[in-house]
Amino acid sequence: MQVQTAARVQVMGIDAGGTMTDTFFVRDDGRFVVGKAQSNPADESLAIFNSSQDALAHWGRDVDEVYPELATCVYSGTAMLNRILSRKGLDVGLICNRGFEQIHSMGRALQSYLGYALEDRIHLNTHRYDEPLVPVSRTRGVTERTDVQGKVVIPLREEEVRQATRDLVEAGSQAIVICLLQSHKNESSEQRARDLVRDELKRLKADIPVFASVDYYPSRKESHRMNTTILEAYGAEPSRQTLKKVSDRFKKHGAKFDLRVMATHGGTISWKAKELARTIVSGPIGGVIGSKLLGEYLGDENIACSDIGGTSFDVALITKGSFAIKSDPDMARLVLSLPLVAMDSVGAGAGSFVRIDPYSKSIKLGPDSAGYRVGTCWPESGLDTVSVSDCHVVLGYLNPENFLGGAIKLDVQRARDHIKAQIADPLGLSVEDAAAGVIELLDLTLSEYLRANISAKGYNPAEFTCFSYGGAGPVHTYGYTEGVGFKDVVVPAWAAGFSAFGCACADFEYRYDKSVDLGVAQFASDAEKAAACASLQQAWEELAVKVIDEFVINGYKPEDVMLIPGYKMQYMGQLNDLEIVSPVSSAATAADWNQIIETFENTYGRVYANSARSPELGFSITGAILRGMVVTQKPVLPEDPDCGPNPPKEAYLGTRPFYRHKRWVEAALWKMEALKAGNHIVGPAIIESDATTFVVPDGFETTVDKHRLFHLKEVK
Amino acid sequence: MSTYTNEQVAHLVEGSLDWETTFRMLSMPKDNSRFEQYLKALQAKVSFKDKIVLPLGPHLYIVQSAKTKQWVTQCDCGHVFGDYRENWKLHAAIYVRDTEEAMTEVYPKLMAPDTQWQVYREYYCPSCGTMHDVEAPTPWYPVIHDFEPDIEAFYKDWVGLPVPERAD
Repeated sequence: MQVQTAARVQVMGIDAGGTMTDTFFVRDDGRFVVGKAQSNPADESLAIFNSSQDALAHWGRDVDEVYPELATCVYSGTAMLNRILSRKGLDVGLICNRGFEQIHSMGRALQSYLGYALEDRIHLNTHRYDEPLVPVSRTRGVTERTDVQGKVVIPLREEEVRQATRDLVEAGSQAIVICLLQSHKNESSEQRARDLVRDELKRLKADIPVFASVDYYPSRKESHRMNTTILEAYGAEPSRQTLKKVSDRFKKHGAKFDLRVMATHGGTISWKAKELARTIVSGPIGGVIGSKLLGEYLGDENIACSDIGGTSFDVALITKGSFAIKSDPDMARLVLSLPLVAMDSVGAGAGSFVRIDPYSKSIKLGPDSAGYRVGTCWPESGLDTVSVSDCHVVLGYLNPENFLGGAIKLDVQRARDHIKAQIADPLGLSVEDAAAGVIELLDLTLSEYLRANISAKGYNPAEFTCFSYGGAGPVHTYGYTEGVGFKDVVVPAWAAGFSAFGCACADFEYRYDKSVDLGVAQFASDAEKAAACASLQQAWEELAVKVIDEFVINGYKPEDVMLIPGYKMQYMGQLNDLEIVSPVSSAATAADWNQIIETFENTYGRVYANSARSPELGFSITGAILRGMVVTQKPVLPEDPDCGPNPPKEAYLGTRPFYRHKRWVEAALWKMEALKAGNHIVGPAIIESDATTFVVPDGFETTVDKHRLFHLKEVK
Repeated sequence: MSTYTNEQVAHLVEGSLDWETTFRMLSMPKDNSRFEQYLKALQAKVSFKDKIVLPLGPHLYIVQSAKTKQWVTQCDCGHVFGDYRENWKLHAAIYVRDTEEAMTEVYPKLMAPDTQWQVYREYYCPSCGTMHDVEAPTPWYPVIHDFEPDIEAFYKDWVGLPVPERAD
């Protein structure tokens, strides 16, 4: 490709996955490149460097030349998650209430089956408790009790805190976590304990960090709060070292930007942030953020985001332009209190293993998968169990010569032989029909899942645009969207790097949450309403200090920060709250309160039904939320001139036999990069690029728009 | 369905198999060759020459006597409890906990059953003292015959193996 230096490279997104590290670069004219490199857990910065070189080679440019140009860079990765899963964090010591020392080890019962497929969840033999992050031997109880109303009924025995500190230091603790019961209601005992621990540590000349749950995650639910605070101590500090290494390498190559990290709440935070536990899951969230930005470009406010990777299918919904936040999610088989972009996952993906149940003779997909080893079609994989990818290769969906841009060569015959022996022969089918059956089953599973996810939340698919991405997304798009009845189906040309792209789209945003308990009757007096407003305002002010502190660490002035208050509200006595962006920037008067409940009631009516509104119960505010953001550079989308419906000659690559609906057809092959805006392609066709394959079977057609988005339609 | 090596099955028997593999075994349909591999792993653990036909407990088996080809119930140590169709418990050493004093040896006071209602009967090997079973019946209840397996049907129809030779 010719060297183009006119346009500046502005934005970089990184998705450091377990096997591949993707980078995504966008220029100020909207042109982008995607780079891939093998991940390197020992030194992530090196994998990012290699991936960057791979991407920039498309433009004939070099890291040393481009890094200094960049305005912004966002990292997302699985390193933190892996550190937790493999239990390679710090030796943390824990101080809790006396008599509750075993609570963390026992964990919540549901933690014994979190992350399991339904079959295993109901199969008790498979349930298992993971090793606790903090062993009982490094846990000390101190006498103290605060009741559920926040009243201190047994004052803290201070000498016990000092003794516990000495014990924990003696036991080799590298960090101390303090989590006392009900501290989210009344933080005084826990804060006192924290100060005592610090004082004792100073006396002992032990320089180790102290984490009190109230300083980090003052939310109700004891196991969640304790787990999250422990996670912060256990995994965040080592992650910070990893990120520092990445940042240092950028600086070495002349970068001037400040590295940011994708966080669970859908914003990005600095690697210097106090709370890093919330970067534990970031990759999949990127896709949702990217979809939101694309939706804004296209004018779609209802979007079904669907991401197929090798092992799972993730679905998230954007309604009226915003995504839902879950406040007590689970990650790494731990219940946590972190705000997380709500997503649903099913364990079926493009790399899922395919087996025949020997008793029912039915095809079973997953739950395990070939992952980066693709399938039996890759002889070097060492696999002998058929995967979904094998079926794709046999049926002509995938190009065996150009998998991952030709990086590995696939052996069609080897896949055929395995499918024949393991699937086709036992079922008395031809290899083609057996493989097609597997694909159909997967497509059906995914489309049912997608449909159920939308209708279970009370929405109609016809009001939604479906975005399909992930390395394997475009291969299946037609299959899992067929018949669902979406308004539009969109496949971005950069589907494979979409998560990295999405991360780069995210705001530089901190979000802090605090549990509050405010109950106000429907016809409360103005004084009662004003009192509730005062409590909410106080919570927001506490949170504002934390949010602004975070930005100050990165050299921003408090006045640069835009603060967006929010709250969680429910009808009194109901179980589920809704998260609302506050209609008032500060709350003081009865009029403010009326606006607060009016916005809640409108949202409630939209999410459920107007007739389900129950103002006669009164209103509870269960949580205060404060988000703060500063302006950052986001990727711009390409704006290409319309070149008409006929694809250019150089985009045509020939044909390939393609099997679907019990017959072989010749599918036209197109080179994705060479297609122009406005081009129209009628199936059967396969559009290939290095990182992804977009399948358009007969009965479907697709058009490329000016932003390089493919719109897939069923031909009626 | 997956297949596993003899070594993996031996680890499974020992309880030393890694969790990931154990989990896969638990959640997938059982592999066809498992019983054969399981017997092989058990056979390697015992010191006697008699062929194991069916395991009955962690240290108790139905075996085919190497000398007579008769099927008998046998302990790890080689002690024979008699014909496999008979209740081996009738030939075991039995200890009955039917007093409060005996109960408080295994449970804290007031946390054990009332022995008027329930007793513990413990069955031991008379040769090596291995505890093979504990019953918790009402005091007057006859000795329970736990298991009368249809070994022929199990071998032929379930695991698809030839039935070992048997002399009666």
